[in-house]
Amino acid sequence: MSMIIDARGLACPQPVVLAKKALERADDLTVIVDNATAKQNVSRLAKSHGLGVSVEEKGDGIYLRLTRPAEESLGGKVPLLFEPTVLLVASSTLGRGDDELGSVLMRTFIHTLGESDVKPHKIIFMNSGVKLVARGSELIDDLRALEKGSVEILACGTCLGHYGLKDAVEVGRISNMYEITTALMRATKVITI
Amino acid sequence: MQYSVVLFHSITGALQAEKRLKGKGIATKLIPVPRQLSSDCGVCLRFERKDESEVKAALEEERIDIQGIHAI
Repeated sequence: MSMIIDARGLACPQPVVLAKKALERADDLTVIVDNATAKQNVSRLAKSHGLGVSVEEKGDGIYLRLTRPAEESLGGKVPLLFEPTVLLVASSTLGRGDDELGSVLMRTFIHTLGESDVKPHKIIFMNSGVKLVARGSELIDDLRALEKGSVEILACGTCLGHYGLKDAVEVGRISNMYEITTALMRATKVITI
Repeated sequence: MQYSVVLFHSITGALQAEKRLKGKGIATKLIPVPRQLSSDCGVCLRFERKDESEVKAALEEERIDIQGIHAI
């Protein structure tokens, strides 16, 4: 969808805020600004989301066109401009306190998530959280169902290595800190449990 | 597939039952108590309805106090 935002006369950070919001829906966005700072800020926003920017300085303003780069430059994979929600599972148990309870809560949480209308775009497992995607986990079936429903499941490779589980991954794929950091920073919402 | 759930008074009871039923080769799944029901501890074990008599027998044998069994 293409959109045009007129951000002329607006003070910082309004142009960026409006552009960011519009990018949730638009994949071809023109932002009209009237000063160099806004131009820089909007350009930076575009770059942080992997978008191309073309600038046209006209008499009545600076026209910034933000577009999704061509498919081949991304190795055939077109990432979403925004990853609406990322769920970060940083432990094999949910919450602090009794681990037996925490384990039950984690199991019922992931199961319920599978039945929920609203699902995260990605689930990232780190530290002891990676045990949940490995052999012996009670959550394999629930996670597979989520994966089938197009939720991307990533497990931290360093963490799997630490727990000796690199060859035991049953669901999702092994990821690295670069990908995980990018996913978290790109997300509009990160839920950490 | 038709399911029933068995409700417990405590998480410990639910986990004990899960272990016991698993040992007997009965497939169960620990899930939150369905909205239309309520229990003291909030989690329950779901099982296939055809296994109901086996589930009951195993729980009695183990003397696990349950809050009830409901078809869902």
